[in-house]
Amino acid sequence: MIPTAAQTAVLALLGGLVALDGTSVGQFMVSRPFVAAALGGLAVGRPMLGIQAGIVLEALHLAVLPVGAAKYPEGGPASVAVGGVFAASQSPPVAASATLLVAVLVALALEWVGGYSVERMRQFNVRFAGSPPEGVTPREVARRHLTPVAVDFARGAVLTLVGVGVLDLLLGTIDFSGFPEIAVGTVVRLAVVAGVASALRLFGRGNYPFFLAGAAAGAAVAWLR
Amino acid sequence: MAEVTELGAGVRRRMLLRSFAVQGSWNYQTLIGTGLAFILSPALRRVHAGDDEALRRALGRHTELFNSHPYLAAVAAGAIARLEAERVPPETVARFKAAVRGSLGTLGDRLVWLMWRPMSVLLGVSLVLAGAAWWVGALAFLLVFNALHLWMRAWGLRTGLRDGLRIGGTLRGVPFQRMGDRAAQAGALLAGLAAALAAAPKGSHAWEWAAGAAAAVLGVALGRRVRAAAAVAMVVALIAGLVLART
Repeated sequence: MIPTAAQTAVLALLGGLVALDGTSVGQFMVSRPFVAAALGGLAVGRPMLGIQAGIVLEALHLAVLPVGAAKYPEGGPASVAVGGVFAASQSPPVAASATLLVAVLVALALEWVGGYSVERMRQFNVRFAGSPPEGVTPREVARRHLTPVAVDFARGAVLTLVGVGVLDLLLGTIDFSGFPEIAVGTVVRLAVVAGVASALRLFGRGNYPFFLAGAAAGAAVAWLR
Repeated sequence: MAEVTELGAGVRRRMLLRSFAVQGSWNYQTLIGTGLAFILSPALRRVHAGDDEALRRALGRHTELFNSHPYLAAVAAGAIARLEAERVPPETVARFKAAVRGSLGTLGDRLVWLMWRPMSVLLGVSLVLAGAAWWVGALAFLLVFNALHLWMRAWGLRTGLRDGLRIGGTLRGVPFQRMGDRAAQAGALLAGLAAALAAAPKGSHAWEWAAGAAAAVLGVALGRRVRAAAAVAMVVALIAGLVLART
């Protein structure tokens, strides 16, 4: 049910890498919850379950903007951890909606912890900033720049391990027997709908007609399938 | 232009690769200042070859405060490398950096974070909700998003190296605004599509459609506050579920 030691190690490695992708190195957006949770699921052999958690987290992450020095929740490591543990917990499938609900709540809490740790890391990085009056050598610039990168990787890996541990503990403790699965599943689904729809605020009021056209097309597809 | 030819293909390639890590040492004192010096290092080594003192001073100057959208930092790095190759006085380079950092930040934030990224990720989410395999959705998102991302970095460095101080005029000529507007339209369309697909799973009842429509309206009204509202709703659902399971 829970990720094995080897799977947990892979999740930690992935968590470190997506933490880097979030800001420090690359920014290819592999760190988006939608992708990161799928990778977490892939690490335990069930990427489709991972991406289910990823879609919920992504919907609630769409309006988070990393502009300037703004503080914001960090989605990557939390999504890897939750995507991996949720996917592992569904072998065999049990209380899927309730498990997903707990996984998402853990991820949301971990995203805030991640955002706080990013802020602290940026304060820590100040010690590598600036330069003495005589200037710096290329080697010194590289050292000052790459040490924080290594710290960021370690931060992401630790955060992922914490997420795996906490979710694992909760899923092992909570008794889901008798849980109203359909009702809980509906709450999670409606949260996704509200989250996705909230993105319209990013695109502007003038684009409401496009939103309605998309909704009509989506309704037609949903009706026909 | 003759001075820039000393920054050959190898130097440009190393600058481009290093630009992917421009935010590696992000800090609250100099922001991405050290990152800019990290990108410029290969160019400055070439420009100041044989003069370690000048190289140290130049690198020291560029570790000072700088900020920009990370993808457009390559524009600034290219232009600064050109100015250094042309032996432009440091005061002029400092004024140039102060002048471009605001606009490079605003341009990138609006186009990439506000429009392109949500649009790309909604494409991937819509595909998976419509029944595509997980990797199709993830790959579609990454390909569409990174097409613009990689173009901005490569084009930015090349254009900065080519135009130097004239980069402002070049940036005004690029249709970033129109690209953002088109991405916003596509994003709004995809948001509607994804919301409808998420609201109505296979075989859903009329009440589920109605609840989905209400959730969409609520989501639009709440905007970014939807995150907190959804978290509260899910906590309540969890507590209610636990209570119901025991009764």
